[in-house]
Amino acid sequence: MRISTNTLYDTGTSGLLRQSSDLFRLQQQLSSGRRVLAPSDDPVASARALEIDQSKSMNDQFALNRRDATSALGFAESQLATAGDLLGTIRERLVQARSAALSDSDRKAIAIDIRAMFSEMMGIANSRDAFGDYLFSGYKSTTQPFSGSVEAGVSYAGDDGQREAQVASNRRLAISDSGNSVFMRAPAGNGNFSLTPDPANRGTAVLDSGSVSDMSKWSDPNNPGDFDVVFAVSGGVTTYDIIDNSSGNSLLTGAAPGGAPLPRVFLKGDTITLRSNGGSEPPFDFGARFSMTGAPADGDRVSMNISSAQSVFDTIGDVILALEQPASGDANALAKTSNAIGSAMSNIDQANDNLLTARARIGSRTTELAALDSLGEEVNLQFETSLSNLRDLNYTEAISKLTQNLSYFQAAQQSFMKVSGLSLFNYIGA
Amino acid sequence: MGTQLYNIGITGLNAAQAALVTTGHNISNASTAGYTRQQVILGTNDPQMTGSGFLGQGARVETVRRIYSQFLTAQVMEARTQSAEYDAFAEQIGALDNLLADEQAGMSPAMTDFFDAIQSVTASPTSLAARQSVISSAQAMTARFNSLDLRMEQVGDQINGEISGAVGEINQLVSQIARYNDQIAVAQSTTGPNRLANDMLDARERLISELNDIVRVTQLQQSDGAINLFIGNGQPVVVGGSAFTLTASPSIEDASRTEVSYTAPGGSVLRLQEDTLSGGKLGGLLSFRRNTLDLAQNALGRVALGIAEQFNAQHQLGQDLNGALGTAFFNTLSGTALPASTNDTVAAANVNVTISDSSELTTSDYRLRFDGANYTLTRLSDNVSWSAATLGGVPPAGSPQGFTLDSGATTLAAGDSFLIQPTRNAASEIRTVLTDPRMLAVAMPISTSAALANTGNGRISAGTVTSATGLPLGGAITLTFDATTNTFNVVGGPGGTLAYDPTTDSAGKTFTFAGQGGFTFDLSGTPRNGDTFTIQPNASGQGDNRNLLALAALQSGKTLASGTTGFQGAYAQMVADIGAQAREVKVNQSAQTVLLNRVTESQQSLSGVNLDEEAANLLRYQQAYQAAGKMIELASRLFDTVLQLGG
Repeated sequence: MRISTNTLYDTGTSGLLRQSSDLFRLQQQLSSGRRVLAPSDDPVASARALEIDQSKSMNDQFALNRRDATSALGFAESQLATAGDLLGTIRERLVQARSAALSDSDRKAIAIDIRAMFSEMMGIANSRDAFGDYLFSGYKSTTQPFSGSVEAGVSYAGDDGQREAQVASNRRLAISDSGNSVFMRAPAGNGNFSLTPDPANRGTAVLDSGSVSDMSKWSDPNNPGDFDVVFAVSGGVTTYDIIDNSSGNSLLTGAAPGGAPLPRVFLKGDTITLRSNGGSEPPFDFGARFSMTGAPADGDRVSMNISSAQSVFDTIGDVILALEQPASGDANALAKTSNAIGSAMSNIDQANDNLLTARARIGSRTTELAALDSLGEEVNLQFETSLSNLRDLNYTEAISKLTQNLSYFQAAQQSFMKVSGLSLFNYIGA
Repeated sequence: MGTQLYNIGITGLNAAQAALVTTGHNISNASTAGYTRQQVILGTNDPQMTGSGFLGQGARVETVRRIYSQFLTAQVMEARTQSAEYDAFAEQIGALDNLLADEQAGMSPAMTDFFDAIQSVTASPTSLAARQSVISSAQAMTARFNSLDLRMEQVGDQINGEISGAVGEINQLVSQIARYNDQIAVAQSTTGPNRLANDMLDARERLISELNDIVRVTQLQQSDGAINLFIGNGQPVVVGGSAFTLTASPSIEDASRTEVSYTAPGGSVLRLQEDTLSGGKLGGLLSFRRNTLDLAQNALGRVALGIAEQFNAQHQLGQDLNGALGTAFFNTLSGTALPASTNDTVAAANVNVTISDSSELTTSDYRLRFDGANYTLTRLSDNVSWSAATLGGVPPAGSPQGFTLDSGATTLAAGDSFLIQPTRNAASEIRTVLTDPRMLAVAMPISTSAALANTGNGRISAGTVTSATGLPLGGAITLTFDATTNTFNVVGGPGGTLAYDPTTDSAGKTFTFAGQGGFTFDLSGTPRNGDTFTIQPNASGQGDNRNLLALAALQSGKTLASGTTGFQGAYAQMVADIGAQAREVKVNQSAQTVLLNRVTESQQSLSGVNLDEEAANLLRYQQAYQAAGKMIELASRLFDTVLQLGG
């Protein structure tokens, strides 16, 4: 083939240009460590990388959210632990206060002690987090949740809101608990029902906290859960009736309550069961009972209600007020104090249970956060590996390619010099 | 006889001299662009008839021939026009490709930062610093949208300038070519078809090749030596000695775009279809603008529009730190409808493009035409069209395009046409309008609670607000459980009852109050008779972050392109599209370069000058000249011999 001199030079230079642009590119890749320098180098990889970048940064953000959540939960947990300790101490004081050997002044001293703990409890319930927001006020984080006093009672100004955080791409976790659920919503009494002696009682009966022997019967929707046990003493015999307040009728007769003697006879230390004894009693069974020591007086009443929410502050406040009442030498007053202490103790047990449940919830969330953390780290590693595979340079390959290209480039330069140096004119006239 | 020998010697001298001159011409023009090597064609003179036969009379120069192949030259021109188109396309798309190459400079980190800032408020909804960071990062994101779009806009402006420049060059070249056509016709009419004006032909061919570098032209050789040139759909730009000019002017549809039109021989102006102007730099520019730039701008606009519309919608369902309902976070964006400059000026109709659902938007532009009775909307990406008798009927409800049209108080005249660009300007117009961090709607305006006196274990969820209807809530709504009928009696709000059977529904049952913010909540557990739950305005709910979680969830939601992709995905798709096109054109460009080199080599192999060959020719013709000189010397000596005989 005939070659024109122009072609000789053009081919030579364009070859050299192409090779030097290849070299430049390799050099750019090597200096940046990136295989993909612009989207056009690998459009699919760059789009994938953008999406993985977003997922990775979301994952990083979730890690931050988890860190915040862990610290918020940790803070709440420490407050609740203190509150639990406080309840434990109050309970010890109450055990002390129950002793029959104590004088009025001894009980007052204990009351003063418990008053201090009441204030401490208020402080915990009104505690704030690092941002100055109230910990236990639900959504109303700038409203002080609890206010009031022993005498006036304590009211809750927050709401039931529970803040959540996005801690993983498909997991939201509660990071706060409302004051309602922690301090206000403990079930009263033994957790199923509460026993309240009528303040006008004149006897010396002291109640235990009662118990449910058959849960399925007690939690039956047909259980009205609202009873009064009425005592009558006539002729030295103590009798009682159980009245269903929802209908107003006696459970024991099925009819309107009558006068003394009442259907059942009460002997000292007897257990009062909400179950038909057969005979003339119509069949009924709510699976619950309680017993009492001491002797009820004629017309004494004890009301028995299905548990509703009991505020821990009311519990403490009530027992403080009861302890401050003078009782020495008055058997009826002592019985009232005993009953108040007994009811407070079972309420405190329930409140403590409630706190423990809240702490267990926090604990399980914290555990989940830790598990999510290690999962998040694994995912992060995967993202980084994918990103690196998509974008990063294989140095070994690139360097060997560089060496290869350099030797091609040198060969092209040398051969171009040789070929372009050949000309017949060199020999003419020589 | 002596004279004859002299004469023959002289013809040899002349022939050798002509060959030497031509060789010299070739050597001198070895590197002249477009030069075709020439060769002297020698022939014998007519012989002298004698009784003993024909006696030769020496040599003569028949013609100087161009070593030329029409076929090879046409191949080179075609390869060059294609190559120039790829070069122009590659240069323009390279700018976009590089703009998106740095992930720190693209949209991606700005969008991620924005959503990260939102997430960081969840832990501390009352922190003004965290709220401010949401606004600041939103401002950074909108500014990034604006600047990316501005860069694309600048590319568009630059293309307008280059189109005007290219049209100027075309006009200059065609008039020069026409002049050469004239000169060649005159020159060759005197020499005849066998003796061509070689160097003028080369010069004209160089101009035609330059014209091909700008836009593809088709040639038609005329018998008088002229070449007629056509562009586009066959519009003649050179006919013999006359040239017709092109004009670059603002488009009828969109005044911000420069278009090419043609002034026909009769003087009428014809708008050239963009896709018929292929090849060369102009073809590359037009095709880049049509196939890449427009789509990239639309795609970027769609992401901006999606974020603005969807974020605003969710933000307006929330409640801010002051307890007021959320306001717009970004400005409200709408599409643009550009009236054609040929529209009826008396009616002066206006069309408004309102975005109705950003998730249905496409990246295409649309054309609206009114024929006096029907409105026809055509989607330009695939030419799907819809017709309706009312403007509100296009696009039809059955195939939503994410926008609705109306003409406000104006009425379209028959023949009016509009270019509808739903997303084109969104990226340049998006702004963050919320400036007060207290007004970030982090909470939801409705909360729930359970009464403390409840004795059952029924629960109500925190619930979500799903529509702006009936917000803010007029007052509290209480739900009281009636165990005998297994219903909740609703007081306030929609009233009535909600059926709830604890034995089957205790795992959770969902209810929605459509007229009360579309409030959706779950009831679960076993409530006892008389248990009450309250749904109330979320008064002083500063610590509530439910709306924020909903806003943050937009980041990973598939809320664009009919639910097939999210914001980041749509952006990544745009980057991938540009990357793929840039890659394609790079591949085409290098393939075309190889092709161009190959055909240039073939053409040069025939027509190019080889200096070694010319050096050899130089020696050859020098020797021929010397030989002819020797012949004259011999004739002289022969004559002397005759003279000596007489002496």
